Amino acid sequence: MNFQERLADIYQRMRDEQLDILIGLHDGAHFIETPNPVMVMSGFKSLGAAAVLLRAEGSSEMVVTPAWDAERAAECCPETHIFGGVDVVETLLKLIDGRSLVSIGLAGLRFLPSEIAYRITAAFPQARPADAIVFDAARIKTGVEIANAREATRIAERGYQHLLHIARPGISEDELAVTLKWHMKTLGAEDNFLMLCAGSHNRAVQPSTGRRLQAGDIILAEITPSYGGQLAQICRTVVIGPASDELARKYALVVHAMNQGIAAAVPGVAMAEVCRAINSVLEAEGYGEFCHPPHIRRRGHGLGFGSVRPGDVALDNATVLEPDMVFMVHPNQYLPQTGYLLCGEPVVMTAQEAEPLTEQKAALASVPS
Amino acid sequence: MHPTLLIGPSDWQPERMPKAEFLRRIEALWQSCPDASRALVYGSPRHHAELAYLTNFVPKLEPAVALLSRSDEPRLFVGGGANMLGAARPLTWMENLAPLKELESARTSACILIGGGYMSTMLRRSVGDAPDVTSQLWTQMRCKSSCELGAIRESCAILGAAMEAVAQAKQSGASVTAAILAGERAANDRGAQDVRTLFSANGGRTLQPFGMLIERTVDPLQLYIAVRQLNYWAEGFALRSERPCPAAKKADALLHAVLPLIKAGSSTSAAAKLLTSERAPYQCHPVTTGALANSFGLALEETRCTDIGTTFEAGEVYSLKIGVTDGAYQHAITSAMIALREDGSDILWKSESPIIRAK
Repeated sequence: MNFQERLADIYQRMRDEQLDILIGLHDGAHFIETPNPVMVMSGFKSLGAAAVLLRAEGSSEMVVTPAWDAERAAECCPETHIFGGVDVVETLLKLIDGRSLVSIGLAGLRFLPSEIAYRITAAFPQARPADAIVFDAARIKTGVEIANAREATRIAERGYQHLLHIARPGISEDELAVTLKWHMKTLGAEDNFLMLCAGSHNRAVQPSTGRRLQAGDIILAEITPSYGGQLAQICRTVVIGPASDELARKYALVVHAMNQGIAAAVPGVAMAEVCRAINSVLEAEGYGEFCHPPHIRRRGHGLGFGSVRPGDVALDNATVLEPDMVFMVHPNQYLPQTGYLLCGEPVVMTAQEAEPLTEQKAALASVPS
Repeated sequence: MHPTLLIGPSDWQPERMPKAEFLRRIEALWQSCPDASRALVYGSPRHHAELAYLTNFVPKLEPAVALLSRSDEPRLFVGGGANMLGAARPLTWMENLAPLKELESARTSACILIGGGYMSTMLRRSVGDAPDVTSQLWTQMRCKSSCELGAIRESCAILGAAMEAVAQAKQSGASVTAAILAGERAANDRGAQDVRTLFSANGGRTLQPFGMLIERTVDPLQLYIAVRQLNYWAEGFALRSERPCPAAKKADALLHAVLPLIKAGSSTSAAAKLLTSERAPYQCHPVTTGALANSFGLALEETRCTDIGTTFEAGEVYSLKIGVTDGAYQHAITSAMIALREDGSDILWKSESPIIRAK
């Protein structure tokens, strides 16, 4: 699929729902968990709050803030009429005449800060939620998004190699994370959801702090660069000093669970089966209690920044897997003997299976103490 | 561009921002809201200046809410579950931390609300009719204490180092993104909490964030760098060129002309009028339209709260921006950071002469 085909799909869904106008909204706070309808509908990653209007007859307009970013938006979206403004809501309202007379769908409203959301709701009281129209059409990635995910994965793997090269006792989590983020930026990653922490017994992976690494620490790293607005992620575990036999055994168990999850991901099955396959491995070893909250929330997730479909690798996700879906498979398991352990690969669904995007899959690593 | 995750040193440093500083700020809040017995202060990774001002806490991943009370120990509710509390503790002077989901059971009446506009709709509705006093707090936030000035000075010093690193990289023939990355690295090497950049690849006509690597060099290079340290920002625009740049010369001259007008009690419109009258034959650059200066400190982007009023005020720190364009091929933006005292002003950072010679 390419972007034009996806857009055509969105327009068709608009017509099916008898919408005159579809508005996608985003506040410019690009977050890994939050889908971005503006990016899905335009391909543009905004600096500030932005909105895209699709009209049923086939035209498109976009409001960007700050106003001076309009030229960059126009270069990205040459077929779209761009309007730069100081305030996204005020500028948007000028584009729609007779708001009460047209059928309007809104996508992205529930993710907006209340300050913007309240004004949108007041301006379009008759509007219907239209998130499904946008994100159902974006449940599979375009060819460009898949290519960007592959490049982001390549950057992630090189970032991981750099981590192995520089992680030593004495460096702080923050220093390590900043250095790695910069390194991956030199490789082309315009953003990075790099969660990195360390400790002798981690309860979870967390944002970095000023804590200094020590011998015996287990470093957890969710390395998540974005390339061309497409995230990819690898989840890795590194021990400072030699790994104990128990740690090695438990990590191998979690990797085995991951591999079973990847093997279970075939077109036509529900995402819940992937989660079930991972859980089964750990339950068989007596870790059933740790397969549920508060120890684990999910076994993977979609990768934005545009669409985060097919959603979480979770028991309650009935989404049927299809070719060209891209998502993470990461057991990321807390075990009482070792603490939290990370392993995970980004995968793209092919016609037959889930293909990891990585060249080297997760393995417990050790750096000198 | 706002990053998906805030990465950088944000631990509370009590020797630089003592707990007493935050308690003083909270006491001032109570004095300005005499009828309030409790305050809910919300912050998200994107918008958290108020939360940082009162608690030092910067929500790196998920939102947080501080519950302040005249009588009880303050509490901080952190998003992301109990497992995130360990990473949150070093970032604040507050000791009573809990997961955000426990806020529901903790809330009481007679709360004032700060940062309500940044909240999700669902959370905002759950707070009910609590009066939002965010703008009132910003009135207090604008006047900088000595601790705050110290933090901003440090940010400005790092900003200067980053600008110098970009200039040197450009002079050595680095591509535009390599030069920008050199500046970011210089800031990182000095322990910057955060660094954001914009640059122009079209002679200064527009600015863009880092998207992908650009292998070519550009001249002139218009750049924007913002650096954060101890939660306080400094920002700067500069143009670097190997050739004479009339627009840059003009922008520089305007900056020097307007700086003497920036003093406590002086009219902001007088400064704006001087720029308008002296700018010819150039027009105002789109990036600086309507933004001669804004109050600066804990936020990069809260423009409504940081707009300059009718007079420049002692105790404030301003980011002064001068941009010109001929609408064709000549564009330049320059800037300065200036702290006002009752009896004068201190230029914390100023863009230097744009001309650099290629090596």
